[in-house]
Parts: sequence; structure tokens; C-alpha cells
Amino acid sequence: MSVHRFGIQMRFAPALCAVMTCVAATGCGWLDDRPAPVDGAPYTASAQTPNPRFTTAHETFGAAVNDYFWVKSTPQQPIEFPHNIHVEKGLACTEYCHEAVTKGPQAGLPSVNTCLICHAAIATDKPRIQQITQMQEKGLDLNWQRVYGFAPMAHVRFNHAPHIRANVECATCHGDIAHQTVAQRNVDLHMGYCVNCHREKNAPNDCLTCHY
Amino acid sequence: MDRRTFIKLTAISGTSATLASCGVPEHQLIRFVPDEELVPGVAEWKPSVCPLCNSGCGLNVRVMQADVEVAKDGQQGVVRMGVAKKLEGFATHPISQGGLCARGQAAIQVTYHPDRIVQPLKRTGERGAGGFQQITWEQAISELVSQLDGVATAGPQGLAVVTGGRRSQRQVLLEQFAAKFGAASPVVYELFSDDLLRRANAMSFGFAQLPTFDLANAAYVIGFGADFLGTWNSPVAHASAYGRMKRGRPGIRGAFVQVEARITPTGASADQWVAANPGTEGVLALGLAHVILRDKLRPADGGRAGALIDGWAAGLPDYAPDKVTTLTGVSTTRIERLAKEIAERSPAVAIVGGVPLAHTNGLFTALAVNALNQLLGAVGQKGGVFFTPQLSRPQAGGRRTLAQLTAGAAPRVLIVDDANPLHTAPRAWKVREAFEKVPFIVSFAQFVDETSALADLILPDHSFLEAWADAAPESGSIQGVVSIAPPAMKPLFQTRATGDVLLEVSRKLQKPLGLPWQTYDEMLKATLAPLGETAWTTAQKQAGWWGELPKAVAVQPTPADPKAPTATYAAPTFDGDATEYPFMFLPYASAAFLDGSLAHLPWMQELPDPMTSAMWTSWVELNPKTAERLGIELGDQVEVTSSVGSLRVPAFLNPGLSPDIIAMPVGQGHTNFTRYASKRGSNPVDILAPMTHVETGTLAWAATRVKVARVGDPDGSLIMFSARGELREHPHEGEYR
Repeated sequence: MSVHRFGIQMRFAPALCAVMTCVAATGCGWLDDRPAPVDGAPYTASAQTPNPRFTTAHETFGAAVNDYFWVKSTPQQPIEFPHNIHVEKGLACTEYCHEAVTKGPQAGLPSVNTCLICHAAIATDKPRIQQITQMQEKGLDLNWQRVYGFAPMAHVRFNHAPHIRANVECATCHGDIAHQTVAQRNVDLHMGYCVNCHREKNAPNDCLTCHY
Repeated sequence: MDRRTFIKLTAISGTSATLASCGVPEHQLIRFVPDEELVPGVAEWKPSVCPLCNSGCGLNVRVMQADVEVAKDGQQGVVRMGVAKKLEGFATHPISQGGLCARGQAAIQVTYHPDRIVQPLKRTGERGAGGFQQITWEQAISELVSQLDGVATAGPQGLAVVTGGRRSQRQVLLEQFAAKFGAASPVVYELFSDDLLRRANAMSFGFAQLPTFDLANAAYVIGFGADFLGTWNSPVAHASAYGRMKRGRPGIRGAFVQVEARITPTGASADQWVAANPGTEGVLALGLAHVILRDKLRPADGGRAGALIDGWAAGLPDYAPDKVTTLTGVSTTRIERLAKEIAERSPAVAIVGGVPLAHTNGLFTALAVNALNQLLGAVGQKGGVFFTPQLSRPQAGGRRTLAQLTAGAAPRVLIVDDANPLHTAPRAWKVREAFEKVPFIVSFAQFVDETSALADLILPDHSFLEAWADAAPESGSIQGVVSIAPPAMKPLFQTRATGDVLLEVSRKLQKPLGLPWQTYDEMLKATLAPLGETAWTTAQKQAGWWGELPKAVAVQPTPADPKAPTATYAAPTFDGDATEYPFMFLPYASAAFLDGSLAHLPWMQELPDPMTSAMWTSWVELNPKTAERLGIELGDQVEVTSSVGSLRVPAFLNPGLSPDIIAMPVGQGHTNFTRYASKRGSNPVDILAPMTHVETGTLAWAATRVKVARVGDPDGSLIMFSARGELREHPHEGEYR
């Protein structure tokens, strides 16, 4: 008698699909259970019960599905930052704004304080500059959204500093940001992309170079 | 359905899931401008001082950039800041020497604990019901100032202060605050207080402090009940020195003998473990001294310490080996052999602490071991006993005990700092009843615990990583040490450093107290001023100052009291009749929680006890023979009853325990101490009788008798880390049943 290898699982397949669809449909905005803001509300000091928090690599089920299918959301930046103007004026990427790129793994994102080093005096009549000046006065910063990045479950680490030391151009991975306004994801940084470049440049190709 | 259909269906449902979940709104929180610029992803190491016990270990804190959710001006938002991520021992610090105990490693959880008090709280509703209202610091401070002003007009005895006796400038500040206010000096309450040993050391050697042992250079060490590698005195310094004693000198391997009635982790490390009857450790020490004197194995120099022992000059006739055997249960041949070993191998040192000093005859035991040390020539000699040089400080006079405070008239205002007497004091002292009568209680707690739940006002302290941290270690180093470090990170919440709050309050009173410092770090700076110009800047870089203390500022030994009475052995007394309560009850400091003050740290809850592997729970230890006689098996529910109360706990069978002793770790049994510790296990202090040492008024916590009875089957509450390869074992659950 031949028994199908997947026989048992197959019986549950329709139910599984239905459940997945339902769960995904409710995926939007699901599980945002962070603590409520502090606003002078009464405080109960008796033994609190733990917050049953959904803890996986992804915040929502939908995010997990998106990641699986390499679907990235388009980040909505707080202001339309014109990279092109700044590069045209002769500012190097690593000079003020992403200066940590030569020192450590992350390039870093500037706070409004960095913007106002120059913009306290330059282009102060522009509405966007006025907007960020007001924000700084209120103690608020720009909530930049991440454009590139890896899911935690990919277990991959990227360190900018050695790439800069090896004279890899920013544009190699970030595309032609110099002629863009808001940064966009120009290059899909999947594993093949990294490995090919490492091979070409005789950089180490051990698994542990990036997966550690 | 075949495999292909399944894959197709999965793809379809996956796609629909993708579509459905597109446009998931990012978690939008406002972002505050950062106060500091850091290189993301690169660690910075900053010094700090561990606050969890009195050892005063210097820490090295790994600080990295992170996005932190904070509240500013009533708004919830995110800010980029440098936060502490890992604690290690500071490599050059003389106490920690680059090491850190498990408790110190878990200290990081103090800062990020989900139940930290994030802003001042004012009580609403019934006292003790746990209802609090969050208020601003301005309201909180003006409330405290007006209450203290009310006291000032009602008489100076209206203010009482209760502290945990932390060896830091904060204690000095509280003492000064109370003194200038005209109140009595702070009541210091610690469950496992070492005051008795301090008293004995003052009598024997002139230093009222805990001793430091030069274990690294010792050839022979005999311990009397002191868990010096686990919970007692300065365990990190001891562990490092112990390692060097065993393996740090090519060709020389130090020997270690431990005498105790219940095996501790320290006893488990010993080369020889000697079981002596509880309360007779001092007799054994003098028995060894008798043999050494009789056989003239060492010069008969008992010095000042020997003069305090009755019959020393006559060669201790009352402590001949046969008499000692009768009292201690240690065989005569073993006594003779130990005495010869200890006299032959030099340098040799004896250590006493913990349980032997918690019997009512503790002072005799301590004096006896001190005399043995003097006879061995260990005092102030390489491989022997030292007293860490201390900076002299204004002495607080007329200190009351907690029992005296609770027995007296209720003060108008009570300040509680770094103490939780509701959990650690015996019920017979009626601390709860006494505190309930106090019209106004202020607490500086970081967490709501049993004591701060009674407070009218909680002024939450910073975590130690967010504030100036300091300690004045009284032991652990042969040279003088003052541990000091600046804040390692910015505060996460609306908390304030208690030192600064006290100083601000002292200025705002109708009659300002005129304390000479504006801020707590000014006070720390003034403390280091006598140590030279560079002391302050050096200390901030390396988690403290250490070196030769100038004689003018160092505490000098007090002269011997010629009228001091000589000590002689008296059998320890116990509460409870031996026929009705056949067992001696031995609560002991838990390796994870000490006296229970660390039970809120989940890593400590998860830490398997070194001797039993139990975790997240309480248990009571019985000798297997006793258990067999009473029909008790591992995990069974037993009832332990003393003359003051009873507890229900699962049983653990421990062969390293005298058959007439019932032991139980202290630390669990909190009724209200964060989500991790509340309503977990039982508190052995609840059934302790209020037996005290006559000499110091401190609690004799090993002087209660109990009876034990099996009351039920295992209920699964005994959780053990199995030695059989599984992660956790619930005895008598499932297949074990």
C-alpha cells in the first residue's frame, strides 16, 4: 500500500490556509500592546500581572509574511530631505550627517541638532528649515524611517566601517543617492549581492563574516 | 489534496495575507532631540559601582546607543541615548578585580525592570491598599518639606529614619540630616547583620568592622560557617583570592576546611567538611587552640584576643579534646589532626561569620575564632586577617534598634531608605503595626515593596547606573578603597537621586539644615578631598580610589578595654521547647536573593540554587534520615511550625544537613514586590522568634525551634534545574509521579 508522504498534513491544508488568510487579514495594526502613555493616571502598586506580549522576530504576522516574500514597505520620511542639493553644495555623505560610518557598524542618522549646525544661518527662510527649527525649539527630533535593513531572523550583520576603509563607494549599495531627494531603496541587498561583491574584491566569504 | 495543490493554496493564501497586511502603520511615536551624540553600534565602557550588597565592587558598564521610550513633559516618545547593556567587574578595582558575582551581573535588570517606579507617588485611599497617584517632583518635595516643617514645631523626636545600613556616603548624609534636624540617628536594620562580628573584632583587635582575609597567600584556611565564597562579606574578592590560593602559586596548593552544620556552596568547595553541632563552632576553635597550646605547636601568644577568653592563660583546660568532642560531635582524633595541620601549615587563618554568629552565643564564637587567629599569628600578617583602612567619618551616636523603634512611641514622620523591614524583621517586633501608627511615611524605594506600600509618599531613586554611585567597602581589600563613579547613563524616567533630594529638602525647610553641600556629587568630592588633589578625577575614571590612606584621616584601632569580661561557652538558647519543637530552624541567605532584596530580578529567580538546583520557589531542607522517619519525600508539602507561626513549603532532602536541623532559604515569600517576586514561595522570617543578641540587640536568626509535619502531596511548586539533562524538572509531575 502506498501512503502519501504528506497525507496527514494534507488533510489539514484547507483549514490551515483559511486560518492563515484570516490571521493575515487582521494583521494590520494587530498586537500594538505597548503601555499607555503616562498622564497622571492612578497607579496601582499591587502585584501587576505580566503583559502577554506577542514576541517573535516580527511585530505582526503581516510583517512576517511580507518579509518572506521580500516585500518592503516604502518608508514615509518626516520631511522630504533633498540629498541632491546637499551633495551639490559639496557636502560629503560621511562629513556631518552620517559621520559614524567610518567609526562603526551603523552610519547613523543626524538629529535636528546636526541640521541646525548649518541651518541656524543658511536658508532660514525656507518653510522646511523653519519647520525643523521649531521642532528643535520644542525638543522634538525627526523620526527618520529606516530605508535599508535586515530582518532579525536573517541573522546577518553589516558593518559599514570596514567597507568605507576598503574604499567601497556609498553608491555601490545605496545607488545614486546624490541625484535623489528622499533616499529610496535602489538596490536589493540580498545575499547573492553581498557574496558576488566579496568574491570580486577578494573579501572574505566565510559564513561567519556576516552571520555571527 | 496532493502536494502541488497544497503549495498553490499556500501561495494564494500567502499573497492574500501580503495584500491584507500591506500598509501596516509603522509604530509612530514622537522622537525627542537627543542630549548626547554617540557612534551607533560602538560600545563605550564606563565605570560604576554595584549597589546590591555592601562589598562595593567596581563595575565596567558597556554603554551603547539605543532608542528608548521615555516620557517628557507628559508626552510619550522615543529618544536616542546611550544605555547600559552589560555589567562586568572593573579589571583594576581592588574588590572586584575584573570579576562579578551572578547577583552583580543581574544588577542591570534593576534599571530596566518593568515595575520600576517612574515618578513620585502619593498614596490615595487606605494605607497599604496599594493605591497611589503619580505627582510631580515639585508637589512631592513641597509635601515632604511641609510635613517636616510640621515636625519641627512639634518637637525634635518627631522624625525617625530607617535604613539598610549601606556602607556609602548616602548613609552618612542621612545621619547628618537626622542629626541637624534634631532627630535620633537612623535605625539600621539588616536581617543578616554583621554587627556582632564587628563588636567582637572591636574587642579582640580594636577595629569595629568586618575582616579581610588574604586568602591568596594563605596555606591553610579553616572556615566556621561563613559562606564567604557565596553570600557573606565580600564574595567576589574572596573568590578571586581563593582561586589564587588553590592554583596561583606553582607548587603550593592551599588547604581549606569548613566547619558547619549545613553545607553551603563554600563548604562544598572545601577539601574537608566537618559537621559540628550548631552553636558549638567556638568550642571547636578553642579545642584546636587547646591542642596547639598543649603541644606547644605555636608560641602561646593569644594577645588581646586571647585575654578575652576565659582560661586562656591556663591553656584552656575547659576545651580539652574529649570535652570538645562531647559538645561538638567532632571526634577527638579529628580535633587532634586538624590542630596539627593548622599549626604546621603557615600562614593559616580562621574565618567566622554567618550562621554560627546567629545563635545566641554568637559573640563567644566570634571571640573564640579571633583568639585562634591571634594564636596562629594571622592578624595583620601575610596570608592572614586584615582590616581594610577606613576613612574616619562623623560617628552617629545613640543608635536605636528596630525593635526599640517599634516598641516606642510612633514618630510624626518616618523616612525609609534601602530597607524592607516588613519582609525581613520577625513578626513579633510588630513592624507593620508600628508603621501603621506613623502619620507620615516617606520612602525612597525604586520598587513598591512591602514597606514602601505603606508609604504616604514615594520619592523614587535613580537606578545606580543613572546616578552617582559610591560605596566605602569595609572589607575585601588590604589597602584603603573608596568606590565612586559618575552616572553611566541618563535617567530613563522621572526619578531623582535620593542624595540630591535630601539636600534640596534640607535647604527648603523653614529652618534650613545648613548641610555644607549643594549636590550629592559635591559631598562625594568633599569626601575624597583629604586623599590628594588627583583622587577625585582618578576615582571617576576607574570606579574608585585606592591606595595608602593618610594616617590623619584613617580610623585608628581602639585600645583594649581592661575591664572587658572574659567569654566562656554557654550553650545556645532557642525559642521553643525541645520536646514540642524538636528541630533547630536555620534560615540562610539565598545565593540569589541574599535577604530577599533581590527577589524582584527575574535572572535571580531563574538562577538555580547552587546546592539544591531549585529556582522560582521556596523549599525546606531536611536530612534524608529525618525525612524517612517523618515519611516525607522530595517535593512533598510540609508544614513547618514554630512558636510564632507556621509555613507550608515543599521539601527537599539534603544529606549535607544535620538530622536535627531544618533549613530554609530566605528571599521569597514577598506579598508585594513586583510581578516576579510577589506571592511566590514563603518567607521563613515570618516564623522566626524575636531572639536577640544581648550584646548588640541584633536578631539571633538561628535561635528558633520548629516542628515539621507532612501535610500534602507534591503540588508541583518545587521547580528544579535537573542534573539529568532536561532543562527543568517538576518532581512528581507527569512521569515522575
